[in-house]
Amino acid sequence: MTQKTNTRATETGRTILASLIAILTGILAGIAVIIIVGLCSESIPAQSIWDGIRLVILGVFNTGRDMSGNLTFGFNPTYFGNMLFRAMPLILTGLSVAIAYKTGLFNIGAPGQYLAGICASLFIALSIPTSSVPVWIVWLAAFLGGMLAGALWGCIPGLLKALLNINEVIACIMTNWLSACLVTFLFNMSNLKNVIEGTKTGYIYKTSMIINDIIVDGVQTVAGTDIPEGAHLLATRGGVATPKLGLDTLFAGSQINGGILIAILLAIIFYIIMEKTTLGYQLKACGFNRHAARYASIPDKRNIVLSMAIAGAMAGAAGSLYGLSGNTEFYWTTYQSLPQVGFTGIAVALLAVSNPLAVIFTGTFMSYLNINGQQLTNLTAYNEYITDVIIAVIVYLSAFMLIIRSWLGGRRKKAASGKADKKGEVRG
Amino acid sequence: MAEKQPGASEYVIEMLHITKEFPGIIANDDITLQLKRGEIHALLGENGAGKSTLMSVLFGMYKPEKGEIRKNGRVVEINNPNDATALHIGMVHQHFKLIEVFTVLDNIILGAEDTKAGFLTRKAARSKIAALSKRYGLAVDLDAKVEDITVGMQQRTEILKMLYRDNEILIFDEPTAVLTPQEIDELMQILKNLAAEGKSILFISHKLNEIMQVSDRVTVLRKGKYVGTVNTAETNKQQLSNMMVGRPVQLVVDKAPSKPGKVVLDVKHFSVPSRFHSRNAVNDVSFQVREGEIVCIAGIDGNGQTDFVYGLTGLEKAKSGSLTLCDQDITHLNIRKRSANMSHIPEDRHKHGLVLDFSLEQNMVLQRFLEPEFQKGQFIRFAEVRSYAERLIEKFDVRSGQGPVTKARSMSGGNQQKAIVARELDRDKKLIVAVQPTRGLDVGAIEYIHSQLVAQRDAGKAILLVSLELEEVMSLSDRILVMYEGEIVGELDPAKTNVQELGLYMTGARRDSVKGGKVS
Repeated sequence: MTQKTNTRATETGRTILASLIAILTGILAGIAVIIIVGLCSESIPAQSIWDGIRLVILGVFNTGRDMSGNLTFGFNPTYFGNMLFRAMPLILTGLSVAIAYKTGLFNIGAPGQYLAGICASLFIALSIPTSSVPVWIVWLAAFLGGMLAGALWGCIPGLLKALLNINEVIACIMTNWLSACLVTFLFNMSNLKNVIEGTKTGYIYKTSMIINDIIVDGVQTVAGTDIPEGAHLLATRGGVATPKLGLDTLFAGSQINGGILIAILLAIIFYIIMEKTTLGYQLKACGFNRHAARYASIPDKRNIVLSMAIAGAMAGAAGSLYGLSGNTEFYWTTYQSLPQVGFTGIAVALLAVSNPLAVIFTGTFMSYLNINGQQLTNLTAYNEYITDVIIAVIVYLSAFMLIIRSWLGGRRKKAASGKADKKGEVRG
Repeated sequence: MAEKQPGASEYVIEMLHITKEFPGIIANDDITLQLKRGEIHALLGENGAGKSTLMSVLFGMYKPEKGEIRKNGRVVEINNPNDATALHIGMVHQHFKLIEVFTVLDNIILGAEDTKAGFLTRKAARSKIAALSKRYGLAVDLDAKVEDITVGMQQRTEILKMLYRDNEILIFDEPTAVLTPQEIDELMQILKNLAAEGKSILFISHKLNEIMQVSDRVTVLRKGKYVGTVNTAETNKQQLSNMMVGRPVQLVVDKAPSKPGKVVLDVKHFSVPSRFHSRNAVNDVSFQVREGEIVCIAGIDGNGQTDFVYGLTGLEKAKSGSLTLCDQDITHLNIRKRSANMSHIPEDRHKHGLVLDFSLEQNMVLQRFLEPEFQKGQFIRFAEVRSYAERLIEKFDVRSGQGPVTKARSMSGGNQQKAIVARELDRDKKLIVAVQPTRGLDVGAIEYIHSQLVAQRDAGKAILLVSLELEEVMSLSDRILVMYEGEIVGELDPAKTNVQELGLYMTGARRDSVKGGKVS
């Protein structure tokens, strides 16, 4: 018994170590880029190179510069809070990719599902009059609506796969752009474009804004908190935002809210579902071997659709929580580019070996790199794209993680498991 | 003993005191194998005895911890398959390594192509292969695509691949597992031709008939250890199987006459459409299976047996006709409802039988995980699953590296099959559909599975056996139905027929007018 548990423990240890090696190599690559760029550019002095290296590793812990211009480090609640805030959608899109992957599906459709989620949430949050419906109900409806929209959007590739055996990757790529165009179209038609703050063109209202529908001289229009004299107030919308649950005092000056807790909670729930319940068992059975699942009277088609729906719901929740933060603004002309957070979810899931619990940490780590990159831009002549290099290297290495893992196991293990696919059967 | 001059050694290949360990298991423990020039040397052993591992060592895929390999008396170092090829060692794997969309010719020359100014030339290769194929009686269509040719011809392609590379030592890893009886006979002749021409052949098998028929000497392995090497002429099947299993084995199924009871399965005018062409794969088939009897559907592979089983178990939709199981019309029921009275040992254990990336214990509850015994409020009861799996492993002697948590993928084929049989028989259903239940199994395991099926029969179960192995058909069944081109062309009593007569029905040379009628 103990020997078996030990085997499993070393297996887990090896997986974690492999992920750490990927991360470390990625950071070393980033440092190399910093040094090379620094040496090639005359405008960057040696001190800046050293600053850049420190920021790319510890940017979140930067507390500015001291009197003599040296970087100072310590706990910085603002950046730390921002890191957690940005981790929230990454954990959820990572979860989306990871859950689908466990069922044998590659959900590259997270960006589209994310957009579907944010779109539905913004429409619900900004359309239901908070003058007649309690704000928390509007928030809940918006959040659930966002998840549902993501789920429905995820269902499309799922249905195509289950019923017509169309490759989900192709279907996902197409639904991504369909979603991007549809969202642009819907917002273009809507009355949610921010016309109150005149400087902001192309953005949707923040959900936390108060929007008053009024009639002035017989014409219906909208106003902010200041209602012009003589106007007749029809209804008030907006003022919806995810509760901060005191996190804003813990991480003063940051964008953080309760959304991160929801993301972590969902990751834990799906870890339990995938590992401990009959539903997870069924989903994995279908993912590993659809024919065997069918043979064992597990409804394979239903499970494929369900898996994509859950994946879509997670990506939808990512969009929804981001939109409902109240301090974010949505640029509605999305048809030309897809949200990066959806694709980064793939890296998050890869690095976490599709383990929902590990996704919490890898999602946070990606966000950590993100903030470091931002610091690099703010405090040195470098720009944040260096962190993209790091992420890219990590993604590549994650793909090679199987190899790293067997390499870690040494040659004996390599002989047994590396070739296990075809030749590893120990038989006579 | 190999202090002779190089080239003067009696043996072309010697593997001396080979030891190869894997985590938790010693696959080869001090094994010695000596192959004479021009002989057919059989390597016999149960599944998991270490035959494939030994061959992988010879082929440079595994590095042994101890021991050495000699060729013509000289010690050689084989670190990868390329080294083996350079030493003129070639292997036909159990699962062929061919590119389906390439022609036979292109597959043969792949990796050893002739080029002229960087362009591929096939002319010299074509004439060389044609000569080889004539010399050894290896009929192939060089311009046919591999996906279009029969399994037998694919195997001949693999053999030509070795000959084209001037290999002298030819290894065959269970070459007959995928062949029909006729193709097996052809292969046996080919092997003899090759040996007569001076090629040395290592023949890995656990089928005693073939070994007795074709080999000169036999080396027997058991549980990773060397048991001995004997001359085929001086031994017999019983002695070999005793050596292989380590105890006296019963080669003939011991069973009392059947006592058929009530009808369990009633098939009426049953037709299943083909997945490949417009005709029916199964056409107007009617028969009954009663409790307490083993009814066998015999036939050459591809005559509709697979489609019939798919139609019966619900994996495919039937076209017409009706199925009655335990007085319930199941013609239009889904798989779960059908399986209430039916267990199914599937033909393809990797496709249907197992989820290879699941652990053994997860595979053991593949159909049953929703039963209250194994779940509570949708949460899996891991302790119960574990103890249930351990019980089945114990009862059916399923061997694996790490017990219940072993990944099914890492288990040997025979133990995978045992796991499936264990799961299906333990479900305790009225009808047992067993499709090639002993495919790829060794004597010991076959004996066990046969005795289990007979025990199930005697316990009043109805058993529908589908088998391609004539020996199994003859020894196990109480009634034989022969299927030819999707129709049942004859019903035979195994006590009153013989293999020759069965063969006539199987090849369509004879048929009784039982079509559509009651044959029970």
